[in-house]
Amino acid sequence: MRGFWLICVLLLQGCTTSVVVVGTVPTPLVARIPARIGVYYSDEYKHFRHQEAIRDSGTWNIDLGAQNLSFARNLLGSMFQSVEEVHEPPLTTEEMTDLDGIIIPHIKKYGFLTPSISGLKFYSASIEYRIVMFDKTGKKIGDWNIVGYGKSEGGLFGSDEAVNEATVLAIRDGGARLAIELIDQPAIQAWLKRLASQDQAGSVANSIEEEV
Amino acid sequence: MLGFRSILILSLVGSLAGCVSSRIEQQRVAATGITGDEAVVLLGRASYNDKQTEESFTDCLANALTKGKNPIRLISQSQFMDDLYPWFEPRTAPTSANELGELFSQPGVRERISEYNVRYLAWIEGDTITIDSGGSMSCTISTFGGGCFGMSYWEEDASYEASIWDLQSMTATGQISADATGTSYLAGLVIPIPILARPGNAACKGLASQLKDFIIGDS
Repeated sequence: MRGFWLICVLLLQGCTTSVVVVGTVPTPLVARIPARIGVYYSDEYKHFRHQEAIRDSGTWNIDLGAQNLSFARNLLGSMFQSVEEVHEPPLTTEEMTDLDGIIIPHIKKYGFLTPSISGLKFYSASIEYRIVMFDKTGKKIGDWNIVGYGKSEGGLFGSDEAVNEATVLAIRDGGARLAIELIDQPAIQAWLKRLASQDQAGSVANSIEEEV
Repeated sequence: MLGFRSILILSLVGSLAGCVSSRIEQQRVAATGITGDEAVVLLGRASYNDKQTEESFTDCLANALTKGKNPIRLISQSQFMDDLYPWFEPRTAPTSANELGELFSQPGVRERISEYNVRYLAWIEGDTITIDSGGSMSCTISTFGGGCFGMSYWEEDASYEASIWDLQSMTATGQISADATGTSYLAGLVIPIPILARPGNAACKGLASQLKDFIIGDS
């Protein structure tokens, strides 16, 4: 009887595909945004997993948390003047002393398609990110949705490798959009302008104090 | 141990190849040339519809360009895309040579490309699709033996285009297109005998040879 249950468990396990997403983490070649930023990664973001049961190809367990986190750390670290990981906002005035703002990335949705579903030759993946930014006082600067897409040829890899590849490309695509487009957002431009004028006012006040 | 007859049959089967007809066309806009220390990057165009240049095709091209007479120095696509991230991703890459000026104004881009001494970018676009198929074949197996009977066929069309950009003059220097079609057969005469046409391979060889001549130019 014990053997029967063991066989059942093994058969059920056979229908589950587990993928731990692993890929390269390129450093973006972009001009740094002149701001000191605090970033909050929630536990959900750090350990993001996707589970889905697909007819004909069983249950998929996709763990993209680690790859996504290391990608975001590298990306944001290259995009801003300085980056510091912080706890969940709100932060105290003291904690915000050396920061100009806070950025919070979220994963809103993750999805993937196998060739049997899409009817195409490719495995494809998409990730929808929500990026929220707050200024020094805790006022929201903006809120943006970014969707990253990736696809991978099914023929060259096993299905798990193809899903991994498509997911890595989707993370990369989302990161590319953020790296290029964030600086051009009107709300970011206005915030940077405010920061520059505050810096200017601060340096004028300092020079007056020194003179006195 | 294989007998002489078996070896003969296997050799015959192995040598059966379907016919492929191919056509290569070239359009040159500017003079080209390359020195020994200059490099080329082959980039497969990817878009988020149902088409994408297969990695196997760009690998085949890279293999043909780096070997034989007058080999060309290539920088791998993945290394180039990583080192110039995020500027050559499917949705951020320049779509025409006119956008190169703006791209080169981004901090670090010109320096990184100079570091590699990349002279030309060759964008490879296209794919191989099955345009027709038919016939039927059935295989059976029993305690008394088994076999396959019938015949099936499929026709494939490989259509690719290379657009070559000169990063020194920041202009498009020309285009080369390769089209190849071929029909493959699978005949079931007790054992299944494949007669394979490989239009993708023919397009790769034709395009690689023409691309090499095009880049070398008068140099």
